[in-house]
Amino acid sequence: MSIFEYNGSAVVAMVGKNCFAIASDRRLGVQLQTIATDFQRISKIHDRVFIALSGLATDVQTLYQRLVFRHKLYQLREERDMKPETFASLVSAILYEKRFGPYLCQPVIAGLGEDEKPFICTMDSIGAKELAKDFVVSGTASESLYGACEAMYKPDMEAEELFETISQALLSSVDRDCLSGWGGHVYVVTPTEIKERILKGRMD
Amino acid sequence: MKLDTSGFETSMPTIGFGSSNDMLDGFSTVPSFDLPRTTDFDGFQKEAVQMVKPAKGTTTLAFIFKEGVMVAADSRASMGGYISSQSVKKIIEINPYMLGTMAGGAADCQFWHRNLGIKCRLHELANKRRISVSGASKLLANMLYSYRGMGLSVGTMIAGWDETGPGLYYVDNEGGRLKGDRFSVGSGSPYAYGVLDSGYKFDMTVEEASELARRSIYHATFRDGASGGVASVYHVGPNGWKKLSGDDVGELHYHYYPVPPAIAEQVMEEAAAE
Repeated sequence: MSIFEYNGSAVVAMVGKNCFAIASDRRLGVQLQTIATDFQRISKIHDRVFIALSGLATDVQTLYQRLVFRHKLYQLREERDMKPETFASLVSAILYEKRFGPYLCQPVIAGLGEDEKPFICTMDSIGAKELAKDFVVSGTASESLYGACEAMYKPDMEAEELFETISQALLSSVDRDCLSGWGGHVYVVTPTEIKERILKGRMD
Repeated sequence: MKLDTSGFETSMPTIGFGSSNDMLDGFSTVPSFDLPRTTDFDGFQKEAVQMVKPAKGTTTLAFIFKEGVMVAADSRASMGGYISSQSVKKIIEINPYMLGTMAGGAADCQFWHRNLGIKCRLHELANKRRISVSGASKLLANMLYSYRGMGLSVGTMIAGWDETGPGLYYVDNEGGRLKGDRFSVGSGSPYAYGVLDSGYKFDMTVEEASELARRSIYHATFRDGASGGVASVYHVGPNGWKKLSGDDVGELHYHYYPVPPAIAEQVMEEAAAE
């Protein structure tokens, strides 16, 4: 198994009508052994930008701490929050700085930009941005996730329907992956509120 | 090119006619397969082994207690990280009073267990009495020993009831054969052993033993990524085996550890009452 599959992860983000949803699994493992079932993979940068990191768990935590630091500096200097597109460029630059000894994670970034327009993107471990209009996936279950999202996704879904869709896509994909699952964590973000939900999934 | 297996021929009597009888040729001696004609025989074998990539991702267990033998297994088949099936039958019914468990390569286990069943039946016909668990496991172990180093992946337990009472043997692809009271095989076995060893008593009823077996498999599926699906539990008694239960471990989790209603729900109820 490759180093990206050492801890196991599944992350997905989807775009809706003036809202977005970002979801991850909750397993932390060491190859086949499950160590924890409450690992935080999704982190809030500010009220309208979320980042979820898949891949090696230590790099997930370190990279998140680095990014929070950089965003706080930005807030002090600019006296405002970062736009999601700007944040994505920041992450890409930080990852490429380590081009020859990279952070072994693949981020998924989701945010609400100007005019409440949702923004999602994913990157590989050295910062190649991939913008998408519908959904982005990452992690050991990514192939299953691509299939499930492609089948279940419709454009312009409202917040509740988006939550149902992303949850079903996540749970059905991680049920086909040995290394991810053991529950789910979903954030649905609209211009007025952030709803965080924990999913009951198969614990095997 | 046929493999020379004369060193491993069993001294089990055939029909009594002597050396070769066309009808029984395939079964009376150790089965042998045609091997490929290739210049690089060693390299070919290594590539074949790598292709099959044996990794015993599973959890099976069996133990002897007062009322017989309890056998349990999960039902997940995995290929590296991908789950190829959640509904594999890992407890193989060799004959009405003997069970075998599957760990390792599915094809290997299925084929060799069926082959063992054939040999057991032939023994019955030749000797007018059922084969013992000890004898059956020895047949299997000797067959596997002759294929040592060729990349077979079989980690199986033979459980049954014969004239001497309940019998349990562990047999693997190296040709090893161990007699014992409690075994667990597969990547989830350490977790199953933890629960099984701490809860085991010889004097258990069938219900207590089946609950112990089910719990052990459940805990192994929780911790081990390569085990999951359905926890099947079988009991082998003096009249043969009987399947006791097949519970989905996803549901078992919430049965053993129910989720208390969320605080938000409670708050909403209170608001509605006002």
